[in-house]
Amino acid sequence: MGADSMAMPSVPSRRRGHKVRVRVGLVVLVVCASMACQDRRSPVGPTMPESSNGTPSPRLAQEVRQQWSPYVGVQVTGEALEAYRDALARLARSGQLKGVRAEIRKSDPAGGARVIKAIASLGLELLGLIGNEYLFDQDIERVIDGIFATYPEIRYFQIGNEITTILPASGPTMTIEEYMAVFQRIYEHVQSRYPGRAVLLTQSTFGSGLHGPTELETMAALGLADMDPAKVIIAINDYNPNTAVQYVGLLGSTLRRHRVWVTETGVSNADAHVEYVQGGYRLLRNYLRAERVYWFVMWGGDSGAHSGYSLIKSPADYPNYWTSPLFQLLAAPQ
Amino acid sequence: MSALVFVLPASAAAQAPQAEESPRESQGGTYLKLGLGHWQGDIFSSSSLTRWDLSVFGSKSNLTSAMLEVETYFDRPRLFGLLSGFSLGYRKDALRRRESGHMVHAGLFRSTNIASFELRGSGGAEWGVPSLNFDSTEFDYHADGAVRYNHTYPIKNANVPLLGTAQDGVLYPYLEFSVVQRPWVFLLEGGIRMNIVGFQFDDYEVDVNDDVTYSFRSGKVLIPYLFVNLGLRLF
Repeated sequence: MGADSMAMPSVPSRRRGHKVRVRVGLVVLVVCASMACQDRRSPVGPTMPESSNGTPSPRLAQEVRQQWSPYVGVQVTGEALEAYRDALARLARSGQLKGVRAEIRKSDPAGGARVIKAIASLGLELLGLIGNEYLFDQDIERVIDGIFATYPEIRYFQIGNEITTILPASGPTMTIEEYMAVFQRIYEHVQSRYPGRAVLLTQSTFGSGLHGPTELETMAALGLADMDPAKVIIAINDYNPNTAVQYVGLLGSTLRRHRVWVTETGVSNADAHVEYVQGGYRLLRNYLRAERVYWFVMWGGDSGAHSGYSLIKSPADYPNYWTSPLFQLLAAPQ
Repeated sequence: MSALVFVLPASAAAQAPQAEESPRESQGGTYLKLGLGHWQGDIFSSSSLTRWDLSVFGSKSNLTSAMLEVETYFDRPRLFGLLSGFSLGYRKDALRRRESGHMVHAGLFRSTNIASFELRGSGGAEWGVPSLNFDSTEFDYHADGAVRYNHTYPIKNANVPLLGTAQDGVLYPYLEFSVVQRPWVFLLEGGIRMNIVGFQFDDYEVDVNDDVTYSFRSGKVLIPYLFVNLGLRLF
């Protein structure tokens, strides 16, 4: 057999190869056409038309109120206190607010306590987020004693937040293994010293991507799965409900008996807040069986520019502070 | 989809004389198939684990799927005449969600000529990340602060590497029945697939003192997909 015949396939073989390519090409075309078919359930949820003046239609407003979970995160900053009081009271009056998540900070504890006490005075339930910086204290039991003494009105305490992702790289930092050792100490201290006094929430794992689910899996293996489900609630921050698929296996197996609260969610575009609650909250409840969903955040401007997640902005302009379309919808009389 | 269903009998009539001349059981070959599937039902109601509803808009949840499959017909039946071929395929459930609804399957089938059709029965296993459309939680919040909820979801009994946690996938058997026509280089198929999926039905009740009571149940649910496939013979 010559070199040419070895390099060139025979004519029948080339024709056959051509036929296969044509057929594969046809199938690819049909595949592309079929991908235009849409599932009837949209990724985040259906939207309903707004009224002609740009305000949500009554039907949309009703659905958003039904999906809304009456819990909001509040960043503890005294400069916004008057606006906070007013905004929280407005939501509470309309029946759209029952509880607030607020951070108990190691820095400026007196100023933080003033804001937290003011929120509690409105009759709202508090979820006290014990700041990450406390968790480096060698005598964490003494820290817990002090916080419990300062905040007798708080029943739910969250131990840290996104501990492996938001601490500055310059340090100090904490691994999830180190965190679980601290959490275990706090859990045992609270159960022995304050039985029935408090329910603990884990640090919030981050809900976008793989990091959070694998971290929660590690936490379960390091003792979380063995803790009493009536005394520990799993906290998840989730800004992308569609990625919740990575949690569902864990929540249906190892952590099947534990309750779940989504402690942060939201979207950084005020014009998309309403649609996010309409569709995203339903998904968070469906997939994560989240009993509560805390909107992040009432005002996110304490560290600089106003955050797009904010329900209110310019609190210094009280009583004429800016409110988001979602806030207006929720606070409107029904 | 419905157009393809109507094409089947017409095509069958056109092919009938040819079928007598060359029984399809001897028509070996490998086909690349593309298909659409549809499921809808109400598995989330605790009293209706196997109830399903064919009305297009009348059910509680639904999803539409796209399928890509390679299947090979043996030249003649194998394994004492029991097997006509095998298939490998991928199905994407809930087309707009990339994070879930990725299923691959492998199966064996037996094809029998009835008049001008082939009737085909298949069986196999399917593995992957199921659509989140199968997850549902119904909440009932009480004025006193108590909350009850029911969480329904497929049992995760398999690992899917590189995705997330250790138990994030499902593996279950399926049965499939279809009517097939293979005119010229094409393959037309319509049928029903029954995925036999394990589900968990978890009830929680949390009272105002944070005491939690549970009721966990599990069971097999038949999930019927109606599907149509269009195939091209590769070789």
